[in-house]
Amino acid sequence: MSINSLILRNLKKNLRNYYLYVFALIFSSGLYFAFVTLRYDKAMDPVEGSIKGGAAISTASILLLFIVAVFLLYANTIFIKQRSKEIGLFQLIGMTKNKIFRLLSAENAILYFGSLIIGVALGFAGSKLLIMILFKVTGVEGIASLSFSSRALLQTLIVFLCIYALIMLMNILFIKRQTILSLFHVKSKTEMTARKLSVFQVIIGVFGIALIAVGYVVSGKLFDGDFSSMIELFGAMFFILFCVILGTYLFYKGSVAFLVSLIRKQKGGYLNIKQVLSLSSIMFRMKSNAMLLTIITTVSALAIGLLSLSYITFYSAEDTAYNYTGGEDFSLLTESDADTFRQAMDDNNIAFTEDKAEVYTVQLNIDDILQTELELNFNASMMDTAVISEKAAGVDVAPDELKLTGYNELLQRFMSLKDEGDVTVHGKETETALHYTGLEDEYPISNYYTMGGLPTMIVDDALFQELKQDINPDLNQGYHWYFGYTIDDDAQLQRANDLFNGLDLEARDNSESRIDILEDQKSTIGLTLFIVGFLGLTFLITSGCILYFKQMDEAESEKPNYTILRKLGFTTTDLRRGIQRKQLFNFGIPLIIGLLHSYFAVQSGWFLFGSVMLTPMIVVMVIYTLLYSIFGILSVVHYNKVIKQSL
Amino acid sequence: MGILEATRIQKNYGNKFNKQEVLRGVDLSIEEGEFVGIMGSSGSGKTTLLNVLSSIDRASGGTILIQNNEITNMKENQLAEFRKNHLGFVFQDYNLLDTLTVKENILLPLSIKKVPKKEADRKFEEVASQLGIMELQNKYPSEISGGQKQRTSAARAFIHEPSIIFADEPTGALDSKSASDLLNKLSSLNANRKATIVMVTHDPAAASYCSRVIFIKDGQIYTQLNKGQQERQAFFKDIMSTQGVLSGVQNEH
Ligand SMILES: Nc1ncnc2c1ncn2[C@@H]1O[C@H](COP(=O)(O)OP(=O)(O)O)[C@@H](O)[C@H]1O
Ligand SMILES: [Mg+2]
Repeated sequence: MSINSLILRNLKKNLRNYYLYVFALIFSSGLYFAFVTLRYDKAMDPVEGSIKGGAAISTASILLLFIVAVFLLYANTIFIKQRSKEIGLFQLIGMTKNKIFRLLSAENAILYFGSLIIGVALGFAGSKLLIMILFKVTGVEGIASLSFSSRALLQTLIVFLCIYALIMLMNILFIKRQTILSLFHVKSKTEMTARKLSVFQVIIGVFGIALIAVGYVVSGKLFDGDFSSMIELFGAMFFILFCVILGTYLFYKGSVAFLVSLIRKQKGGYLNIKQVLSLSSIMFRMKSNAMLLTIITTVSALAIGLLSLSYITFYSAEDTAYNYTGGEDFSLLTESDADTFRQAMDDNNIAFTEDKAEVYTVQLNIDDILQTELELNFNASMMDTAVISEKAAGVDVAPDELKLTGYNELLQRFMSLKDEGDVTVHGKETETALHYTGLEDEYPISNYYTMGGLPTMIVDDALFQELKQDINPDLNQGYHWYFGYTIDDDAQLQRANDLFNGLDLEARDNSESRIDILEDQKSTIGLTLFIVGFLGLTFLITSGCILYFKQMDEAESEKPNYTILRKLGFTTTDLRRGIQRKQLFNFGIPLIIGLLHSYFAVQSGWFLFGSVMLTPMIVVMVIYTLLYSIFGILSVVHYNKVIKQSL
Repeated sequence: MGILEATRIQKNYGNKFNKQEVLRGVDLSIEEGEFVGIMGSSGSGKTTLLNVLSSIDRASGGTILIQNNEITNMKENQLAEFRKNHLGFVFQDYNLLDTLTVKENILLPLSIKKVPKKEADRKFEEVASQLGIMELQNKYPSEISGGQKQRTSAARAFIHEPSIIFADEPTGALDSKSASDLLNKLSSLNANRKATIVMVTHDPAAASYCSRVIFIKDGQIYTQLNKGQQERQAFFKDIMSTQGVLSGVQNEH
């Protein structure tokens, strides 16, 4: 038989084995090509140039490359393992290892480059879709007409050729290392031999958990002022990464086995079917896949973390915009501007609600309520602060008290305030001692007065009138009125905005429109969010697929166990329940650890990205978990089939 | 009425066009407390017969009654239910779960029946000490020898006191010392616990431990031998000669 017909025969016979491998190939090449096409497209030039986007995109493409390579190499491992028997057979009938390798390479080349072509075609179509979504999200004007980029194609080809070379290298090593006998056994031999837990493993297990805990604790202190210089900060970040990643590895290497063995010991040898199928299997398998699981967990954590942070930014844009305008749709600063605006609205029959406040700036001594160890280069005994009356704010403040409101999250981190304390208000001549009673969330006046998120003070109306008589003219040279307008009918907002932009205003530069601010923010964040979303989805799908492939492989090697259990009288329903439990662990453990990692990462520095953490982070986590569960469910379906066939 | 009554059992493999008749009408009756051996040349259908009798495989025809339960037309779940209550298994390749310790493996059949833990522990100690694997209880299968694995497998078959124990070439993978060890244990369990055992083997020495040996050939029962009051040695010679005749006849074909 000529080698060519052997190749073809093999291809036909093994088509079913191939489908996973082919899927992995098409998926990753499509994705990669879509990404590079987008990257090199002219339409991206403005966005890429305008923002720090350039660096973001390069980082993203390196990450993408890494995950694609890991994914393909893993798919190939499973693939070659499935075929080990066949390789053994070839050797048995007298083929040299060299010849087998050539045979495999040729066969692989057909599959590989065939899938690559399909992938590129699909990727091209996909990238059109993506760029449309991109423009939808960012609102950047541009034509969604994407041209085929030969540069993108070239880069994709080079990258995948390199990965192909890696795969070939792996196959050479695999074939070289194996004897005929061991090739026959690869499949039947599970990836592990169960043995009693050694003391060493217990130590590793405990150490792994401890490392992760240390990483988490340090991450919580990252911006608390313990690390004041940049070098210390980077040192701490590196330390956290090191602890958490090594800890994760040791966790899979030892802790899982250790924890499970504690549970098992407690059962005294009497396990029910769920425990038989779940505990005993993950106890040994997680250990032998520690490296892979660590990569998956890290990648998931990275994806969830990045997604959360960019969504926090995006989500906070709305908040930020509201804070800029003092919680209204438009903010104006003078009586005559307000007149002009009201007139324009009335002329066009747009109903609105007005909210106004007289605003002055005074100096506030907050030494007593400041709570920070950082060395700050400003004078806390003379802080410029905007003051408004309780009437304008719509709250009630006692005559000898003072409330602060609308304090930016990020500033709060570095200059946090106590819950209460004594402060002094400095007018031009007089000083008034007041009792501070707490911080409110609302931003009652526009950014012009709050200068990017400094708190506004609210005082009793009588006191406000007193202060007004005694203001320091040096601090109050600009405007001292705030007018906020909210359009009653959302449908008219866009028109109101157009009118607003056409008005001739005295304080044009300092009058704000909320939706303009929002638009502006979104177009800046949109690209980042898009890239991160793209990467996150890729990470999700690849790690889900890797786990799924691994489970298919595992199902195959555990099939004899199901046969035994069914012979003993366990029903398929019993086994199915056990498998569901097992998959809950197999998919759940990496997910939960990934979620935890990303939670701690996000909470250590989210305030650098936006003003709301919980909601956007939870949204990202829930969506990620749901999508990820699809792979778990697919694997359960696969197991059900295997169980059914097992007797 | 025996504990197991099988009448005209047939088993075919393949499809309509390419049918292979492996069993062609086997009649078999086994009394309670018997230790029955099934012999025959390789490929004669011993494993098939055992699988069909033990409900692991379905017969193509005929009826099987175990303790007056007809298993031939039971549903899959009823069969599982039946197996867990009435049957025990020992296989040539041990069929132990390699991720469970010896004790966990042995306790599996009790766990299906949700026997209370105290009672499970008591039963375990009883059967494990009879089979001499008490000290191994916390080891994993990969840490013990073939003979010890097979004794573990036997303990698992006996622990829930099933009506019948089916063993397929239990000594097939063992050296002769471990094999005779195991067979001694099996026959003492057979005697002490009044356990009924059906054992497939192609080894006359193993078969000589049985109280009755059935020979199958061409999918039918060829003949059977009763041990009666004979010594094991004498019975062994009988078996040898019958086997000789069996293969002699084969050679004439
Ligand atoms: N699942 C099966 N499908 C098709 N043929 C089978 C199957 N199992 C066994 N056979 C055939 O049935 C015959 C008897 O097999 P078996 O009962 O395993 O023999 P023994 O155990 O006596 O060596 C053999 O010829 C074998 O090829
Ligand atoms: Mg057999």
